[in-house]
Amino acid sequence: MVKLPPMDYAAIMPLLILFGAACLGVLIEAFVPRRARNITQLLFSLAAVIAAMVFVVKRAGNVTAANAITAGGAITIDKAALFLQGSLLVLAFVSLLIFGERTLEQGGAFVAQAAVTVGSEKDKEQAAKSLGSTEVYPLALFSLAGMLLFVAANDLLTMFVALEVFSLPLYLLCALARRKRLLSQEAALKYFLLGAYASAFFLFGVALVYGYAKAVDFASIHTAAAVGAGNITLLITGLGLLAIGLLFKVAAAPFHVWTPDVYQGAPTPVTAFMAACTKAAAFGGLIRVLYVGFDGLGWQFTPVLGAIAALTVMVGAVLAVTQTDLKRLLAYSSVANAGYLLIGVLAGGQLGLQSVLFYLVAYGLTVIAAFALITLVRDADGEATHLSRWAGLGARSPLFAGIFTFLLLAFAGIPLTSGFMAKLSVFGAAVDGGQTWLVIFGVISSIILAFPYLRVVVMMWLSEPGESTPSVSLPGVLTSTALGVGTIATLVLGVAPGLLLDLADKAAAFIR
Amino acid sequence: MDAYLSSYATIGALALVGVVIIGGAFLVNRLLRPRRPNAAAGKRDTYECGLDPVPGGWAQMHIRYYLYAYLYVLFAVEAIFLFPWAVVYLEAGRAVIVEMAIFVGVLALGLLYAWRKRALTWQ
Amino acid sequence: MTPMWYIVLAAVLFSIGAVGVLVRRNAIVLFMCVELMLNAANLALVTFSRINGTLDGQIMAFFAMVVAAAEVVIGLAIIMLIFRTRRSASVDDANLLKY
Repeated sequence: MVKLPPMDYAAIMPLLILFGAACLGVLIEAFVPRRARNITQLLFSLAAVIAAMVFVVKRAGNVTAANAITAGGAITIDKAALFLQGSLLVLAFVSLLIFGERTLEQGGAFVAQAAVTVGSEKDKEQAAKSLGSTEVYPLALFSLAGMLLFVAANDLLTMFVALEVFSLPLYLLCALARRKRLLSQEAALKYFLLGAYASAFFLFGVALVYGYAKAVDFASIHTAAAVGAGNITLLITGLGLLAIGLLFKVAAAPFHVWTPDVYQGAPTPVTAFMAACTKAAAFGGLIRVLYVGFDGLGWQFTPVLGAIAALTVMVGAVLAVTQTDLKRLLAYSSVANAGYLLIGVLAGGQLGLQSVLFYLVAYGLTVIAAFALITLVRDADGEATHLSRWAGLGARSPLFAGIFTFLLLAFAGIPLTSGFMAKLSVFGAAVDGGQTWLVIFGVISSIILAFPYLRVVVMMWLSEPGESTPSVSLPGVLTSTALGVGTIATLVLGVAPGLLLDLADKAAAFIR
Repeated sequence: MDAYLSSYATIGALALVGVVIIGGAFLVNRLLRPRRPNAAAGKRDTYECGLDPVPGGWAQMHIRYYLYAYLYVLFAVEAIFLFPWAVVYLEAGRAVIVEMAIFVGVLALGLLYAWRKRALTWQ
Repeated sequence: MTPMWYIVLAAVLFSIGAVGVLVRRNAIVLFMCVELMLNAANLALVTFSRINGTLDGQIMAFFAMVVAAAEVVIGLAIIMLIFRTRRSASVDDANLLKY
């Protein structure tokens, strides 16, 4: 008789809801008339995210060490996983609002038929009339569900499958921009090829770790590493390969090269989704691998990861200075932020985990608001992302220039913004955890990184608006909401971070 | 052991007979046929129903095939999960059958979508 | 013969694929190199399954195969998309994004 593993359906309900909703989204795509599709898909996806959130919150009340691991040991719904799932859902909810925006441009930011030859008659017709793609909602839901699974995976195989489930829809989403389609497709190709390359490394790492530990769940790996029998080279090589796959996803140097291209080429709503959610999911996975599975190897991986973190903060900051495109600038800033997060990861302990969790939420909300604002500044050719085009924006539209200035100050880590609190907690944890040298790198990098931010601010306010200064479109309800939520959260988390910090503190515990 | 190996001798003999027959036929053919070497133009060209061969042996498949190829790859490979399932489903009871039905249902959903998007229509 | 040789073979195949991705220029070839890497990982999984005396590795190889197939379809779809909008499959022709 085959014994089936017990399933705790209450624990995995958010996952089931999202996967089910994504499948239903495909059905909606097939059967609802074209005109009604966008609004149906949008409301349906938002409802699914809210429903999943309800179950996450409900679960948070009664999670214990005994009931955390379920589904035959494949999934751990512990407090850290629930915190990450909850923040992923919040971030995804806000990004989905930008996905749904249709007032800025007819048919929204996505193209209905991506394969039409550029410049052909059909292309022009599509640019002028078509309603735009609505497949993006099920794709985003699939991706989101993959992320939720990724942060809760309790073995490396589940993690690998979840990694692919959340990456594959993202590759497609990147290719669907309505404007600058060649750029967008190129970004998708690069993201795909490098992503597949990185996931192959991850899989080979899984194979080697399996060879060492005879199993791939984190508890067994932890035990096997503690016993230390067998060929330790297998384990260390395996961890190295796993780390390459994960560091690629978090965009740490030297695995960051895809980031600027993909952030620039992808449709801006997708960029916002990636910048916030992929980062949160990837870091969630990384801390679980390092602190649940491989904590016994701490003294072996800490120096290497420390070097990578130092390199990442410096590369991100220095290259951000040279950028002339806003989306690329934010991409390099996101690389540098991955470095700050890595510093928090290396800090370790309760404090380190808490700071990373807080940072992910704070940074995610700010970055979504920043990209939402970038979708607003446009001319006849779509978004005007070149830096010179933003000169004099302060005179044209003081409100939006003011908001963007505030967001940039948050990225730079000025007090009274969430960015300040996030950096403070991460660096504080690192000093506490004995990684002071990393904090020195982090502070230097922050100072360098303040320069490109301030340059944008100076340009917006002190330059005269010229002929080519684009207008700022008035956002629809959806983008305004996303922008408002992001900005207010940036302010609130800067002024009164206590609530979220407490929550992150309670959540900063893994169950093995 | 010997008896076991000798049972292969029959197969070996049969294979040998087959080789002898085919080889013999070719040999007889070679001995009996006339030999008049002649290097006329076009003698060694590929025979194409009497028409002159068109240059180039490479032909590109039409792009419309690729969608079918994609769908085939997906569905063929997903079927891999049916194999381990087929070994245990009788013992494991109803839940396992329901689970596999859900899995196949999700696959069918993909096919349904492809059909509604007219990906299956020849165009 | 010890099964360890199969691990060596898997590592060699994986390295060939990894180097191939770095030096080749055609998107389809890059793609096949990635597939080679994934299949090398499968070989390693199956061999370790044999060495460890558990069947887990073989089941994992199943999952890896299915994931690889999904990846193939997505990847070829993107490559086809690029091909249809600009009629080329060379990675070097995709060069609009520069730092």
